[in-house]
Parts: sequence; structure tokens; C-alpha cells
Amino acid sequence: MRLLLVEDDRLLAEGLSGQLEKAGFSVDTTGTARGAFTLAEQEDYRAVVLDLGLPDGNGLDLLKRWRNRGTGFPVLILTARGDWQDKVNGLKAGADDYLAKPFQTEELIARLNAIVRRSEGRVLSTVKAGRFELDEHRQSLKLEDGTEHSLTGTEFRLLRCLMSRPGHVFSKEQLMEQLYSLNDNPSENVIEAYIRRLRKLVGAETISTRRGQGYLFNDVV
Amino acid sequence: MTWFKKPVSVKGTLLALLLPAGILLMALAWLVHGLLLDRMSRQFVETRLKDEVAFLEHQIRDSNGRLNTLQTGDYFQEVFHHAFAIHSDSRTIISPENWAPMLMPLLESEQEGTLRVSDSRIAGAPSDILAYRKSFRVDDQAIVVIVSEDLGALSRSQAELHAWTAVVSLLLVLLLVGVLWLGINLSMRPVVSLKAALKRLQDGEKSRIDVRAPEELQPLVLQLNQLLDSLDQRLERSRDALANLSHSVKTPIAAVRQILEDTDRPLPNDLRQQMAGRLSDIDRQLEAEMRRSRFAGPQVGKSAYPLKQARDLLWMLGRLYPAKSFEMSTVLTEERRWPIEEHDLNELLGNLLDNAGKWSTRFVELCLNEGRQGFIITVEDDGPGIPADALDSLGTRGLRLDEQTPGHGLGLAIVREITERYGGTLKFSSGSIGGLKATVHFPGTTGGIKQ
Repeated sequence: MRLLLVEDDRLLAEGLSGQLEKAGFSVDTTGTARGAFTLAEQEDYRAVVLDLGLPDGNGLDLLKRWRNRGTGFPVLILTARGDWQDKVNGLKAGADDYLAKPFQTEELIARLNAIVRRSEGRVLSTVKAGRFELDEHRQSLKLEDGTEHSLTGTEFRLLRCLMSRPGHVFSKEQLMEQLYSLNDNPSENVIEAYIRRLRKLVGAETISTRRGQGYLFNDVV
Repeated sequence: MTWFKKPVSVKGTLLALLLPAGILLMALAWLVHGLLLDRMSRQFVETRLKDEVAFLEHQIRDSNGRLNTLQTGDYFQEVFHHAFAIHSDSRTIISPENWAPMLMPLLESEQEGTLRVSDSRIAGAPSDILAYRKSFRVDDQAIVVIVSEDLGALSRSQAELHAWTAVVSLLLVLLLVGVLWLGINLSMRPVVSLKAALKRLQDGEKSRIDVRAPEELQPLVLQLNQLLDSLDQRLERSRDALANLSHSVKTPIAAVRQILEDTDRPLPNDLRQQMAGRLSDIDRQLEAEMRRSRFAGPQVGKSAYPLKQARDLLWMLGRLYPAKSFEMSTVLTEERRWPIEEHDLNELLGNLLDNAGKWSTRFVELCLNEGRQGFIITVEDDGPGIPADALDSLGTRGLRLDEQTPGHGLGLAIVREITERYGGTLKFSSGSIGGLKATVHFPGTTGGIKQ
């Protein structure tokens, strides 16, 4: 399994690549963002371990460039900064997992295997309707201008349901099937609250109400 | 007001505004007083003249028009101090005599009622008079009566009165200036003492402002003192943290270096493990102290958008735990802000959600709510939960944050510390579906911040 290790600390890179080789990966190591970009162009990697603080650029920018080009290999970010906001930013940039330094090698290997497994058989699956594009894997909504909104599970399922058949009226009962809740009998108000939240994202006229019938996704607006 | 240069001090502003306004108002009052005085005396004289004419008419009617029988002479003059003229077909009486050139034209004129003659230049007679003329008939005899008064004398005394009023007004203006000056100085005294207190604070003579400020300035003093408190606390905390850190980091470093420097000594496995253990200690200490020093605590002017942050964290955890569903239910709108520092809220939500995510089987729910009693964050999972007797000690373990083992409640200890820093409470209970339910409650004294 070919793996690209992008880490500028020579000692750490050497030690890590040795351990990863032992675990069955075939590792290419580079210490610069430029080197990583070229290598990823030429070779076909199953996974990338990416350090964020590189001498010639930010790892996040490199990751964004890869994702913008549609490169799909899973990426695990390694960084000394373990802030929640850093994690959010890393995942938003397109990472699959995040590990704070220092770490146990066993944990890194376990996480690498997990993201590789998850990415297997993954095909680019998106739902498009009108100006909007729903990314299944990233559970996010892309707008025409390229901005991306992260969605919670229910928001995503509701939107996927509505966008799967634009113009079709879904009743509240149908939409309620998309709800997960601790409450066994979620009320119809819950659906209304979610619809309100979704309308904030896609615009009020994109999801229209059919009084007494339900809601529909308006893809021509 | 372009001509009005903005003064730098409150005192200057007050004086610059109040003084001209006071003087202007006083001058206006003086002018109005003059006009009213004038009008009043004129009216008064007019009514008197009218009364006297009526009296004369009565007298003449009583004597059936025979003017001769009227007790003339100085009588009227003495009684009324006014000049008069009575004219009938047969006779004309004018008293005093020297007013005759003035009153004669009036007798001949046809006008009735109040008449005014001014700026006449007749020797011996006053130049300005007010007269009342009335004509009537008694036994087919036409009679005209005129009573008049010298306005010169009146306006002279009026002018005198007006001048006195001016003097009094001036005195009042001076008094006003004095009172203003005194009032401003008195009311500015707390500010002056505040200024002095700030100076002492700056010079290091005092550590807090202890001036009894007036009500309007009380929040300012309170805020300043709170700021100073939090600065002190922060300094103390960071010193403690650094002291703890250097104590617990330097020893393991020394030990590891000792082993590495000894080139003759082989590195057997148990020695490696010991060294790794020491390094882990360092890491743990660093992590705990760093997370701790990053808390901001309640701060003025800091707020966060809870909905946006919660959404990002839920989404991220959903990516990290793909088999689990992270949901949110809330009454808040996207624009709602809470008076909690952004990083603190992130740390709080992140740790609660991450902990719930670790233990849940497939579902985590976050509730963000607010009411009159404050802000409430609830995180519930569908995991195995923990026994009731362990609920209270969760996140505390009777230990300080730096004594916690990472991965074993460090996250919850952080949550507890942040909550306490904001004067809130953290409670754990069993959830409705058996998992753990964590409730954070912040007292909402500020009532949130409206957008």
C-alpha cells in the first residue's frame, strides 16, 4: 500500500517511515509542500500523512489545492496544534482525520487503516439540484460560487431527500423518516424548525411550502 | 455649530453652553420685562384718564351743562394731577393754562377715545402726552372733555425702574455664573478624584481604584477593577503554570539527557520504555498547562456565535466518527451571540461532544437553549452511560487539571473548569435512553448580546 509522508522534521520522518514500512506500507517521504505536490501528481498513493507546518508553505493550502483538483486519496493531518478550531479547519480543507503530535505509532497506523478502508470503493457521489450540490462524503452543501456549508446529519438527510427529486412534494411524514432523535415521537414542529434552518442556507424560495401537503425543492429558482 | 470648537473637558463644555445661554435668557427676560412694563403703565394711565373723564361728565351732567357752576380752579389738578380741558359752545376751560396750545387742537379734532401726542415742541408744555377725549350732549349743548397726562414723567420713572431691573439682572447673571461654576466643580469632583486615583494607579501607589464614584461612573470603576483583577489572576496563573511546568518538565529532560550522554551504556528495552514514559510525562504536563492557559474566561467585549460553532464541531465529529450521527436541536438563530469567548465555547462544546462521540453507539444530540435563567447546553448520547454513584465525580476526580490523565476525563475536567470560570454549573445525569447526559448552565445575567 503506497503512502506519502509529508514531514519536514528529518528525525521524525525517518523514524516514522521505518515504523510504517514495518506495518506494511510502502512509504515515500518528502519535507516540502512543492515536493509533495509533484510526487502526488506522478505517483498513485493510497493515503497521505500530512504535516501542517512545512518550510515552504502551509499544509492546509496544499490539501486545498489537491482537493480543488479532485484528488481523492485520504489524508491524515499531523500537527502540534490540537485546538478544536484547527481540527475543524483541517477537516474543512479536506482532511479525513487528524492526529495531534506527539502520538503513538500504533494509533497512527490504526487511523490510517481506518481512513483507507473508508475510502475504498468510494466513488464521487454528489446530488445536484439547481444551483446546489450536495457532497455525500463530506456531508456538505456546495453553492454555485464555491462556498461550502457543513451540515449536521439530519440537515443533510433532509436536504438529500428534498434534492433527490426537485419539484416533488414531500409530506411531513415522509420527511420525518429522515429524522434521528432521542425522542421517540418527534413532532411536526421539529421538521418545521429544520426547514427553517435549511432555508437560511439555500434561500427561502428554494424550499417552498405546499400548505397541507408538505415541502418541495425548487431547483429553477 | 461650526463656530463652536469642541472643548476638551466636560467643565469647558458645560460652561461654554450654560454661560451664554444664561446670559441670553437673562437679557431676553429684561427686554420682555421692559415691554410689559410699558404696556401695563400705558393701560393703567388710560383707564385712569377714562375714569376721570367719566367723573367730569357726571359732574357736568349734574350741573346741567353749566360749566360755570363747576368748582374749577385747582380742584381737578389737585385731585387728579392731570391736565384737563372742557369745551362747550359757550366756554372753554383748560387747566393748567400752559397746556392750552397742546389741548386746543385736540378739542377741535373729531377723534374720540385715547389720543397720543408726541414730539410737540411747545414751550412750557410737555412734549409727550396721552389724552382721553369724549364728547357728549347735555341739554342740547355739545360738550367735549379731554383729560391728559404727561407721559414724559411716566416714562422717566419707567426708565428708572427698567434700569434697576437691568442692574438686578446683571447681578443675577453674576450669581448664575457663580452657581454654575460651583455646581460644575462640585459635580466634577468625583471625576477629579477618579483622575487622581488613576494617576496613583499608574504610579503604582495603589493596586485598585477605591474611589467612591457617583452612580453614573460606578460601572466604569467596577469594570476597571475587574479588568485589573483578571489581569492579576492571569499573571498569577501563568506564573503558577510555568513554575509547575518547569518543575515537572526539567527533571525528566535531565534524566533522559543523562542516559543519552552516557555513550558506553547500552539501550536495553526497559530503559527505552522508561525514557518514553518520561517524555510522555512532559507531553502530558505541556498539554494540560497549555490548554489551561488558553482559557480566556469571561471577558468584556468577547462573544461567540454558538450555532455556527456547534454546527462546525458536529460536522467535524460526524466526519471523524462516520458511523455515528451527531444532531442538534436548538431555539437559537444563526445570528444569536453568547457572551462567551469563542475559543472557550469551542473547547467546551468540542470536549463534551467528543466525549459523547467516544461512548455513543450511534447517536449524539446537542441542545442549545436559552431562557430567562441563562444559557443551557445539553449533550446526550446513547452509549452505556455511567453508574449513578460515579456521576458526581465525573470531570473532577478531586484532582487539579494537571493531575488528570489525558484521555481519561481531561476533556471533561476542562469543561468543568471553563464552566466554573464563567460562574456556570456542569451537571451529569442519566439520559432518557440510558446514555450520559451533560448539562452546562450559564447564568444569563447579561441576557446575551443582541445582534
